[in-house]
Amino acid sequence: MKLSDKVAAEINSIKSRYQDPRSCLLPSLYVVQKADGWIAPEAMAAVGELLNVPGATVKGVATFYSMFRHKPMGRHLIQLCTNVACLVMGAEELVDILKGKYGLEPNGTSPDGRFSLVIMECIGACGTAPAMLVDTDFHENLNEKNIIDTLENYK
Amino acid sequence: MEKYLLRNIENPNSADINEYVKAGGYKALAKAMDMKPADIIEQVKKSGLRGRGGAGFPTGMKWAFAAADPKMPKYLLCNADEGEPGTFKDRPLLEKNPHLLIEGMIISGHALRAKYGYIYLRGEYPQAKDILEAAIKQAYEKKFLGDNILGRGVKFDLCVHQGAGAYICGEETALIESLEGRRGQPRIKPPFPVNEGFLAKPTVVNNVETFSNVPYVLEIGPEEYSKIGSSDCPGPKLFSVSGHVKKPGVYELPMGTTLRDIIYTHCGGVTGDKKLKAVIPGGISTPVLPADKLDCPMDFVNMPKHGSMLGSGAVMVFDETVDLPKVCLRAIKFFEHESCGKCTPCREGIGWMRSILGRICGGTGNAGDIDLLLEVSKNVMGKTFCPLGDGAATVVQNFIKNFRNEFEAHINNKVRAER
Amino acid sequence: MITVTINGKQIKLEKPVSILEAAKMTGIKIPTLCHHKSLEAYGGCRLCLVEIEKMPRLQASCTQYVTDGMVVWTETGRVVEARKAMLEFLLINHALDCPYCDKAGECDLQDLVMKYGPAAGRFTEGKRKHPESYDDPIIVRNMERCISCTRCVRMCSKVQGASAISMVNRTSKTFVEPFSGGRYNCEYCGNCINVCPVGAIMSRLHKHTYRPWFIEKTVDTVCSFCGVGCSVTAQIRGNSIVRIIPESEKGLNRGLLCNRGRFGYDYISNSGRLKSPMIRKNGSLQETTWSEAFMYIAQKIKEIKEKNGGAAIAGVASGRCTNEDNYVFQKFMRLVVGSNNIDSIAGFAYAPARKFFEKIFGQGVTANPIQGISRSDGIFVIGGDPTAINPVLGLQIRAASQKDIPVATVGYAPGLKGFAANRLIPKPSTEAALLAALLTEMLKRKPLPAEKTPFEEIIGKIQPVSLNEAESACGIASGEISACVDSLSGMTNPALVIGRDIIQRSEGQANLLLLAALAQALNGRIYLSSELPNEQGLIDMGCLPDMLPGGRPVAVDSFRKRYGEFFNAEVPSAQGLSLMEMVEGAHSGNIKALYVMGENIAFNIPDNKFVKDALSRLELLVVQDIFTTETTRFAHVVLPAASWAEREGSYTNLEGRMQHLKKAIDSVAGLEDWKIIAEVSKVLGVDMNYRDSRDILAEIAKVSPLHKGVTYEDMDSGECMWPYKGEPLRHDLNIVGIDMPDMKALLKKPEKDKVYIGVDKVLFHSASLSRNSFALNSIYSEPHAKIGKNLAAKLSVASGDHISISTGAGAIELAAVIDSDMPDNIVLVPNNFEGRGAFRVMGWKMNAAFKAPALDGMEAVLKKLERVSAEVSE
Repeated sequence: MKLSDKVAAEINSIKSRYQDPRSCLLPSLYVVQKADGWIAPEAMAAVGELLNVPGATVKGVATFYSMFRHKPMGRHLIQLCTNVACLVMGAEELVDILKGKYGLEPNGTSPDGRFSLVIMECIGACGTAPAMLVDTDFHENLNEKNIIDTLENYK
Repeated sequence: MEKYLLRNIENPNSADINEYVKAGGYKALAKAMDMKPADIIEQVKKSGLRGRGGAGFPTGMKWAFAAADPKMPKYLLCNADEGEPGTFKDRPLLEKNPHLLIEGMIISGHALRAKYGYIYLRGEYPQAKDILEAAIKQAYEKKFLGDNILGRGVKFDLCVHQGAGAYICGEETALIESLEGRRGQPRIKPPFPVNEGFLAKPTVVNNVETFSNVPYVLEIGPEEYSKIGSSDCPGPKLFSVSGHVKKPGVYELPMGTTLRDIIYTHCGGVTGDKKLKAVIPGGISTPVLPADKLDCPMDFVNMPKHGSMLGSGAVMVFDETVDLPKVCLRAIKFFEHESCGKCTPCREGIGWMRSILGRICGGTGNAGDIDLLLEVSKNVMGKTFCPLGDGAATVVQNFIKNFRNEFEAHINNKVRAER
Repeated sequence: MITVTINGKQIKLEKPVSILEAAKMTGIKIPTLCHHKSLEAYGGCRLCLVEIEKMPRLQASCTQYVTDGMVVWTETGRVVEARKAMLEFLLINHALDCPYCDKAGECDLQDLVMKYGPAAGRFTEGKRKHPESYDDPIIVRNMERCISCTRCVRMCSKVQGASAISMVNRTSKTFVEPFSGGRYNCEYCGNCINVCPVGAIMSRLHKHTYRPWFIEKTVDTVCSFCGVGCSVTAQIRGNSIVRIIPESEKGLNRGLLCNRGRFGYDYISNSGRLKSPMIRKNGSLQETTWSEAFMYIAQKIKEIKEKNGGAAIAGVASGRCTNEDNYVFQKFMRLVVGSNNIDSIAGFAYAPARKFFEKIFGQGVTANPIQGISRSDGIFVIGGDPTAINPVLGLQIRAASQKDIPVATVGYAPGLKGFAANRLIPKPSTEAALLAALLTEMLKRKPLPAEKTPFEEIIGKIQPVSLNEAESACGIASGEISACVDSLSGMTNPALVIGRDIIQRSEGQANLLLLAALAQALNGRIYLSSELPNEQGLIDMGCLPDMLPGGRPVAVDSFRKRYGEFFNAEVPSAQGLSLMEMVEGAHSGNIKALYVMGENIAFNIPDNKFVKDALSRLELLVVQDIFTTETTRFAHVVLPAASWAEREGSYTNLEGRMQHLKKAIDSVAGLEDWKIIAEVSKVLGVDMNYRDSRDILAEIAKVSPLHKGVTYEDMDSGECMWPYKGEPLRHDLNIVGIDMPDMKALLKKPEKDKVYIGVDKVLFHSASLSRNSFALNSIYSEPHAKIGKNLAAKLSVASGDHISISTGAGAIELAAVIDSDMPDNIVLVPNNFEGRGAFRVMGWKMNAAFKAPALDGMEAVLKKLERVSAEVSE
């Protein structure tokens, strides 16, 4: 697979920030994920080619970090925290609600392809728990009602 | 106490460089440019500033080590991988007051003759990334960054590097590995980063809050600075308070403020005026304290004397309704998820602890499970490659030490933890 | 001085080492699973925890260094408890399938659990599930057994430099995987198998065929594939080798092997081995007895010698045969047959290059230790990819590169991509211009001294070539060339690794002169790549038309006389023919008989058709081999030889190290090559009277001044290095017979629209021998034609498409592989597969200086095939 010209160009521009092209690996994977929603094996190989990093090494790195996705995602990614602060403020109930309302299982995608759900470790919103990220937006002080209102804004 | 770290953040445009300058920002930088690098290090040393990431290492001393290493170039890394559950103190700095961090890093870079800086920002803060990048761009435009800072011929380049979900990258050598595009696993020490860090060059890694204190040290001078808060670890400290308090949030208070003050004076007490059951004072890997241990001053020196640690100053408050074994299980699940997999006890031991806790909380625990859990935690403790495993063992040991009866209740009554 | 006390034993150390190493020095073994001596410390398994006085925590002894006054205890109750705990942890996710697992019996984890482990684990939940992977023909992965020690991954990336596997995921879900998740796309060195402490990565070839305790004996010997000469240990059960492994303490390879050495030996048990002597009767080869075969050969040789003289008979020696075989062969040819017509494939590149460099610098100039490559301060590679030709030597280059030692490569060397800071890939056959420009620029930076040696006088006369001239000739930007000069000029004692591609050229001698000049200017050490295990040895044994044993020229009367006198015989004075001249002679009728020992000349010499034509005109063709080959099909007599594993003898590797080849198993049918020749000699009336190879070596040690007094015991000591205990040939500083090349004439450009054909040296094969290896064929079963991306685009060819390659000599059809690093107008084809070798379609020109074929400028016409046509038959 070839990376799209846009993705390749963006990676090449990021490269200049680093003294060593390999440092550009995580940012490059982000560029791919932003474009495709996930990181296909072929994309890993292509990124490796561009940065002169062996494909197996790219795979080792990409699978180490929990925010890289290795299968296609729904249109919107819900990253819901259930760590201690969110837990004691009711995050588990929210997981149930997402299942009931959208048929979403953790690490799953709703049947209509609209949402994917990933359970997060702490997202740094403990004072406003429970909280989630939808794509790159923070939504805090969630409860059984406002979580649905919020998600309904994502089509 | 007058706020410094969080001053001006009520201003909706606080992240804008003009607002920051208007409020007195970048004055410390101008001052620093008139100082010799060694003098800046000396002032930071004298101020008594200690690293705010959790370990409390004296910042000036760390800098002096790196400055003494003749290898060039030197690198300055900001640890913005705030991943310790309960911790969100750096987030307002990153999102609302980015120029304070940038100014602190430029001054630190000058002190260390480092020409390159990276802010390793956790992947979970996508908004902070945009805000920081915009702020950095402004700083370049104003010649606070670049090849010729303030026309003094000093060079410092800074950019944001986004992590991708790995708590372990908060450990400084893992952070460096990650920045080098590798799996974020800790390195063997020595060599220490101050001698062989990023790209095998001398590297200083400091926390966001630490860098943000640097302009303050220069602004008011080390003598004045050292008068704030606890005498042997002075300065303002950010406390992020969560859980069952009336006013959770980030508080800038003098180092050494007691837990009781934080919870009852500043955060308005326990939500619904319920009874307090337990507090985790410094982020999830610090030992949990029962309700009768609230009078300890929150600083690096005093907390260990009271059976816990300051950690990142992340106070998590649990009222009487909380099922603590369940909290313990969730915490251990976190450690299991974040174990990098490098060393045996952490990789395998934490999962085992999780499975024992799982059956206890699931109402299917056995009589010997608490002792087995303690033994497994003992076998993890002190034997892992880095402190992550110790953190997990600490959680288990302290929850059981302080709240054994709750674990026993689950086992004896075959009670499944409630949702 | 550091004093440290371990378990009460005090030791003094010059420099700090890890506690683990310090303990080893005192004979104390600290258990570990992740540590390996070929690898850097890792600190992952935590088995090596020890107690150090004044330190509250147990410390990992692999990562903790000793300090003065340190007191260490390695087996205290606390330590033993901790080890037991670590083993209990490891067994949580380790399948307890020891009774079924092939590793049982040599499994480090099993051994440690027996010593320290808990009697029973207390973990009651389910283990990690991960089906065993059989996606690869060679390597089986069982990730239920993996203990995440990462030895394999570190071996693959840090030592092999291949990075074909990695740890994926984190937490206890971590496991090892090649990129595809299934089949490996790697060099198949198998070094990952070697370092796996458990049964997680194993060889599929050995799966369930035996258990470690079935091994009845082990024999330490030398690999049979290339000129590096890695030490290997053959593990034997009954009369067969069950496995070849390297021993980390033995040999120059220090526990490393390549795919050929580790897996390729299985050709010895191929059922196609020749089993009986055969004589051509009524047009076909028919089985016969040894004595009839000997009689037949002797009779024919006698007739031809009487009728046409000894000079009508020629012999082809072999770089796969031992020193003893080759010594006896040249003795037979010279003293019994009466002919100096002795040569081998080594005469095409290795021998002329060595002779040329020795003429300038003196005998033994290429005898440099391979281990020195990674310790040099720069490496210059030209004429072939050392990682494919001499893989373990190639690892030295990669190791150097990983230590930031600058590496420059000239020409297509895919195995060093990512390791060479300067990669110069000139257009086909334009290296001379590039080398001349490199030399010209080097001499500007490091001028020759005012007082010049004779060779420096010669260097001074080489016409300078400018960067621009070089750029226009070889198509490399002058900036890139000058960047390479920048790198070269920083080197004070670099290694120059030279391969045959630069030698087998019309301008081969000019190339060598320029390389010698560069070596002089850089103070470099020369390494000659060698594709066969004993090219160096056969030369030293006198299997050259102009050299006697010990590298003594035939042309010098005293040497000739001295050698003859040992046997009361006379060495013919007429200079013999080179191999290519023999073939021409056979074709023209001047050569009537050809005796071939262990070489497939009908395949391994360019223009197969011409060679076969020549062979068919012979009155006598005798071939000793272990398989039927393209050459045996033309033979009048075929004699089955013993294989490499079935004989004793010695090899001399490319660094001039003599090594003892030991007999591992008994030969089923064949005889040692020397023995066959000695028998023929006996029938011809000259009884050589050898009982075994030891007798032959003793004779060599007597008659060859270079090998004076050499014994197998010297070789077994491990350091039998050139010049042994012997007398090297005195070097004559007056250099004669070097033609000054006309540099301007060498600034030729290849014609743009033409495509040239060259030989692709495949990592997984070795001439025509490896086609008999099941293992190597499962890795690489089909030859490919490699082309660059522009040529591919021009032909509208994608990887996998079939193309036809035709030349004046013939045509072949192959699947194409596109490699973007290849120059535009060349196609590379391997010469390993029957009917589809490069030499089937490649012609040659005679290089008059070397009397060897030059392979440059061989044009080919490429065409895309729409349909795969049936394989072209012979």
